[in-house]
Amino acid sequence: MSEIGETTTVQWDSALEAIERCYELGWTDGLPVVPPTEARVAEFIDRTGRPAGEVVGELPERRREITVGKVAANAVMAGCLPEYMPVVLTTTEAMLDPVFNLVGPSSSMGGSAILTIVNGPVARELNVNARNNLFGPGNRANATIGRAIRLILMNACAAIPGVFDRSVIGHPGKYTYCIAEAETETHWTPLHVERGFQAEQSTVTVFAGESPRQVRSVGHPEPILLAIADAASSLGTNMSTSGSVGEIGTGVRQGQIVVTIAGNSGLWKDWTKDQVRDFIFQRAHRSVAELKRAQVLAGEIEPGDESTPVSLIPEPSDILLLFAGGEESNMSSVIPSWGPKVGSTAVTRAIT
Amino acid sequence: MTTTNEHVLVNPVTQPVIAPFNGAPRLASLAGTRLGLIDDSKRNADVLLEELAELLRTRYEIASVKWHRKPSASRPADPDALKELVAECDSVIIAIGD
Repeated sequence: MSEIGETTTVQWDSALEAIERCYELGWTDGLPVVPPTEARVAEFIDRTGRPAGEVVGELPERRREITVGKVAANAVMAGCLPEYMPVVLTTTEAMLDPVFNLVGPSSSMGGSAILTIVNGPVARELNVNARNNLFGPGNRANATIGRAIRLILMNACAAIPGVFDRSVIGHPGKYTYCIAEAETETHWTPLHVERGFQAEQSTVTVFAGESPRQVRSVGHPEPILLAIADAASSLGTNMSTSGSVGEIGTGVRQGQIVVTIAGNSGLWKDWTKDQVRDFIFQRAHRSVAELKRAQVLAGEIEPGDESTPVSLIPEPSDILLLFAGGEESNMSSVIPSWGPKVGSTAVTRAIT
Repeated sequence: MTTTNEHVLVNPVTQPVIAPFNGAPRLASLAGTRLGLIDDSKRNADVLLEELAELLRTRYEIASVKWHRKPSASRPADPDALKELVAECDSVIIAIGD
C-alpha cells in the first residue's frame, strides 16, 4: 500500500478501455467514471492540505473508516475538478456527523438521497447552479459534486444497492443531488446564516430527503405557500407515516423539510423567511381522523378527531427554506425528509 | 516498473475494520436469570417482545425483565442504556418490528 492508499494496477490502451476497467472493478454508479489514477487523485488530495490517510469520519455500523484519499478517489471518478474537493470533503464530514445518522438514510427501504446544499462565496466561485433547472441537468459542479457523494456512499460507505442499501424504489437524486441557494438575488437571509454561520463563510448542508415534489401554483405569495403547505402535508410521505407522526408518545417524531421558492425576490418583499416558515408550519398537518383512516395512527375514529390536527413538522425552524430555482415564481419544490428528525437531522458545516 | 499500457489506480473502496471480540458465554439455564429486551421502536416490536417475555417467564422461569425502547429504529441503542443492560441482565434479546 502506497502513501496514497491501496492501489490497483490495470492495463488499457485507450480511454474507452480505461472506462471499461473501472466497470470491471465494480467501482461505478452505472455511468462511466474518470479512472482514479494516482496522479489525478494526488492532485485532489493536495487541494485539501490534509494527508491521504487522515480519517474524516467513520460509519461504525458498517465498520468503515473514510479517509481523505478515498474521498479524493471517488471525487476524481465522479468527474469533479480539483477545486471542488473542499466541498466534497466537507460534505462527507457532514454526512458522517453522528446526528445525521448516515446508516439510516443510506440503508432504509424508505429510500432517501443525500441532498447537498452549498451556501456562501464558494457557490459562486465554483458556479454551483442555484437557478433554472435547479436539480439539473446541465451544470458540472452540481452534477459531479452530487455524484461524488453518491460514489463515496457506494464505494467508501458500503451503501451498495441490494446489499446495505435496501431502498424499495431508489431515487433519481441518488445519481446526484446538489444545489446552491441564489442568496445574492434575494433579501432573504441565506440558509447558512440562519444556521449560525457568517454570510462570508462557505458551507454545505446535508439533508436526507425524498425526491423534490414540484409544486405549481399561481405566482402570488399566499397561493404559493398554500400549495407548498398542501404538498408538505400529503399522506404517503416519510413524514406522515407511522414511523414518524404515528408514535407521538416517543419524543418528537416529526421530520424536517426542504422548501425551495423560485422566481423574482421582489414578489416576497413583504415576507421574511420566518413569516414564510410560520405560514407553512401552521398548515402542514393532517387531522387525527385522516391519520387513523390511513392507519398511520391506531384506533377507532373518535369524536373530535376530524378537527384535531397533528403537525408533520417539529417546529418552524425545521423548514429549511431556500430561495432557489428559475426566474418564474409559480414553481416551488418540497422535499420531505427521509424520516423523523430523531432518525436523521440536517447538518451544516463550514468549508475550510 | 509499469509498461506503457499499465496504469495505477487508487482504490476508492473501503474494507471493514473489525475489532476482535469474544462473545459472551452461553447460559446453562434461563431459570432465575434476568432478561433484557431492546425494542427498536418499529411497529409490533413491542408485541413480539411482550409475547416472548411471557413465554420465557412461564416456560423457563426467568426472574425479571428490563426494557429499553430506542427513540428511533435506525439509531444505535443508547450506550448508557446498553451499559445498564449489561450490568443488570444475564441475557438480552433484540426485536426488529415492522
